[in-house]
Amino acid sequence: MRWRGEWITAYAMIFPATALIAIFGLFPIGYAIYMSLYRWRIRQGGFVGLDNYETVLGDWGGAAAFFGGLLLILVAHHLWTRAFRAHAGWRRYGPLVGALTLASAGIAISLGWSRMVEAGEARFLGGLIRTTYYGFLSVPIQIVLALILASLLFQRLRGSETFRMLFFLPYVTPAVAGAAVYAALFSPRPERPINTLLGWFGIPPQDWLFETDPVLELLANGVLARIARLAGTEPIEVALSGFWAGPSLALVTIIVFGIWTYTGYNAVIFLAGLANIPRDLYEAAEIDGANGRQRFLHVTIPMLSPVTFYLTVLGFIGTFQAFTHLYVMRVPATRDAVDTASVVIFDTFYKRNDFSLAAAQSIVLFVIILILTLFNQRVLGGRGAR
Amino acid sequence: MKTLFALLAGLAVTVSVAQDVDSLDPSGQTVMFWHQHSTERLEALDAIIEEFNTTNEWGITVQQEYQGGYGDIFQKMLPILSTSSAPNLVVGYQNQAATYAIGDGMTDLTPFVESERWGLTDEEKADFFPGFYTADIFPSFDNQRFGFPPNRSMEVMYYNADWLAELADAGAISFDGPPTTPEQFREAACAATDTPFSGALADASLGYKLSTDASRFASWTFAFGGDVYDYDADRYAYDSPEAIEAMTYLQDLFEDGCADFVTERYGDQTDFGQGTLLFTVGSSSGLPYYDSAVSEGADFAWSVAPLPRTTEDPVMNVYGASVSIPTGHSPEADLATWLFIKHYTSPEAQATWAKASNYFPVRQSVADGLSDYFAENEAYATAFDLLPYGTTEPPVPGYDFVRDNVESDMAAIMDGDDVERVLATLTSESNLILDDQLSAME
Repeated sequence: MRWRGEWITAYAMIFPATALIAIFGLFPIGYAIYMSLYRWRIRQGGFVGLDNYETVLGDWGGAAAFFGGLLLILVAHHLWTRAFRAHAGWRRYGPLVGALTLASAGIAISLGWSRMVEAGEARFLGGLIRTTYYGFLSVPIQIVLALILASLLFQRLRGSETFRMLFFLPYVTPAVAGAAVYAALFSPRPERPINTLLGWFGIPPQDWLFETDPVLELLANGVLARIARLAGTEPIEVALSGFWAGPSLALVTIIVFGIWTYTGYNAVIFLAGLANIPRDLYEAAEIDGANGRQRFLHVTIPMLSPVTFYLTVLGFIGTFQAFTHLYVMRVPATRDAVDTASVVIFDTFYKRNDFSLAAAQSIVLFVIILILTLFNQRVLGGRGAR
Repeated sequence: MKTLFALLAGLAVTVSVAQDVDSLDPSGQTVMFWHQHSTERLEALDAIIEEFNTTNEWGITVQQEYQGGYGDIFQKMLPILSTSSAPNLVVGYQNQAATYAIGDGMTDLTPFVESERWGLTDEEKADFFPGFYTADIFPSFDNQRFGFPPNRSMEVMYYNADWLAELADAGAISFDGPPTTPEQFREAACAATDTPFSGALADASLGYKLSTDASRFASWTFAFGGDVYDYDADRYAYDSPEAIEAMTYLQDLFEDGCADFVTERYGDQTDFGQGTLLFTVGSSSGLPYYDSAVSEGADFAWSVAPLPRTTEDPVMNVYGASVSIPTGHSPEADLATWLFIKHYTSPEAQATWAKASNYFPVRQSVADGLSDYFAENEAYATAFDLLPYGTTEPPVPGYDFVRDNVESDMAAIMDGDDVERVLATLTSESNLILDDQLSAME
C-alpha cells in the first residue's frame, strides 16, 4: 500500500514536466512528421507518403548509404575502443577491423552523398554542407578558446570577475543586434573598421559578407600573388571548388560571429567545471613530478570531459539549428553561400509556402542532429563517465 | 454565347451578393488593422483612423497595430489564415494576397465595391488611376478582388544634376540633362567614374550602384521594352530578349568599372548624398531620405527621371502594398472594414496620406489638393507626372520566393556569369515554383 502511494506520488511529480515536454516537444515533432507525409501548401492536400523525403534526399539507395555510413562511424568507434579493453586476440585485430569499418563508413558516406546530390534537392543538401562547415569550424574553436579563457580566469587574476562578465556579454546580447553590428563592422566598404584594420597591414579591403569564393582559394591566391610580386612574375590564380575547397569568406565571417557569441558562455561553464576538480588530484600529480603542462593535459582536461561533452553536444545542436544571425547577415549578392539547412527550411516554409517539404527537410535535419548527438555521446560521453 | 452566359451568370451572382451586402448592418463593429507603418506615416495613419472613428455614423472603431515589415506580417498571417485570430484588415503585396487566397484566407471585396449602398459610384471608380484600381483583381482566382490600393510608389532614377552639368561642360558627355537612353546612361556613368564631382565630400567616384532586387530587374527590363511575365501564357519570362539585353547591358557596365553593387543597406543613398555616386535607381518613397542625404551631404541639385529606355514612352515600375480583408470574421465586420477602406482611399484622406508618407495617392483628383506640396517637392511632382506610364510586377503566388532567386541570379550575372544561361535557369525555376503554387489551388 505504501509502495503504491509512492508510485502515485512519483508519477504525479513527473507528470507536469512530462506533459509539457509532450505538448511542446514531442507533439510538434509528431505533427511535422504527419505534415511531411502529405502534400501541404498553405492548406492540407492529399497523402503522398514518402514523396517529400524522396524530393529532399533524391535517391533512397544513396540516402541509405549516407546514413548507414554515419552509423558505421559509431560502430567503428565501438570496435576501436573495445579492442583496447579486450583479450589479446581481439586487441590485435580489433583496431584493424575498426579502421576498415571507418574506411567503409567514409566510402559509404561519399558514394551515398554523391547519389543524393545528383537527384536530391540541391538547395537543402548544399545547406547541409554549409551547416557542416559551420558546426565543425565553430564548435572546436569555441571549445578550445573557452578552455584557454577559463584556465586564465581561474588563476585568480585581478579583475577576473569583470573579465568573466565581459566574456559572457556577447551571449546575452540579442542575436539580431549583434549580427547587425557585425555586418556593419565587416562591410566591404574600404572605410569600415575591419577593412581599415587590414589596410594598416597592407592588406587590400575584403568583400567579407559579399564574398562567395572559398576562403582557402582567397588565401592561396593572396600568397601566390605575393610570391609573384617578389619574383617579379605574373601571378597565377587557382580556383578551388567542391567540399574540400571549404566555406566561403562570407560564411567564415559569420562563423567568427558565432565563435564570438558562444566562447564566453562556454568559458563560464568551464569555470564551473574547473572549480569542481578536487585539489588533491593536482597535489598528487605534483608529488609525482608533473609540471604545469602535464597537470593540465592529464588532470584538467580529463576531469573536464563531462563539461566538454555537454558543451560539444549543445554546440553542435546549436550550430546545426543556427538561424537568426545567419538570416540577418546574409545578403542577396552571396546567393546561397551562407544558407545553412535551417535557413533553407525557413525559406521553403515561408517563401516557397511548401509546408510539407519544409517539414520533411526538418525531419532529415533532426535525424542528422540525433546521429551527431549519439556520436558525441559515444566519443565524449564515455570519457565523461570514466 | 457560352462566354456571354458565364459573364451574365457572374454578374447575377455579384448583384445578388451585393444585394446581400446592402442589407448588412456594420454598427458597433471593431476593426483591427495590421500594418507596417512607423514614425511620420504612423502619425498620419493615426490621424486618418481617429477622424474615421469620431465621424463615422455607425460607431465603428478601428484599431491599428504595427506588426513589423511586410515579411513579418506575411509570416504572422500564414498560421492564422481563415481563423478569427486574423486581423480584419492587413497590408500586403498582391503576390502575398494570392498566397493567402490559396489558403482560403482572403475575402473578395467585389460585393462591397459594387454595393449600391456601401460601394463606390462610377465617378469614384473612374477617379482611381486605372492601373492601380485593377491591380488587386486576380485573373487566376476568377477575377476576385483581394485588395484595395491606398498608395503606390514607383521605381525612378535619381541623378546628380550638378555633376551631369559639370560633365557636359567638360565635354565628357554629349547631352544635357538626365540620360534618356541606355547609351547616354553608360556614357555618363563611365565619365563620372573617371571624373569626380567637384563638390564630392569623399575620395571616390562612380557612375551607378545597383542593389540586386527583383523590382530593379523588372524596372530595367521594362525600360528595355520587355516584361518579366508573359500574361498571355501565364508564365515567367525572365529569359525574354529584352530581359537578356537589359542584364547584358548592366553586366557590361560592371565589367567596364562604371557600376558596382550596393554593399550596405541604403549605401547608395549615402554615396549619392556625398556626391560620389552619379545615379541610383530606387523607390520614389525614398525621396525624403535622398533629400536629407543630399542636404546634409554635398548639397547639390538633384532630381528623378524615368530609367533610360529603348521605348518611345517611359515604362515605369509602379508597385505598392494594398490592404486586404482576411477571412474568419462576420460579414458585418467585413463591411465595417470596407467602410474604413473607403474612408482611407477618399480624396481628403489620400491628400493627408500622400503628404505624410511620400507615397503617391491612388486617386487622380487628389492632385488638385497637392499643388502646394508639388511646388515644395519638385522631384515628387516629376515622379507624379510619370504615373500614367505605370506598369506592375506579376501578382502571382510564390513571387516572394522567385524574387529571392532573381536577386541571387542578378548578383551572379553582375559577377560575370553567362546571362542567357542564368536567365534560362531562372525562368524554368520560377515557372516550377509558379506551377507548384497554382497546383495547390486545384
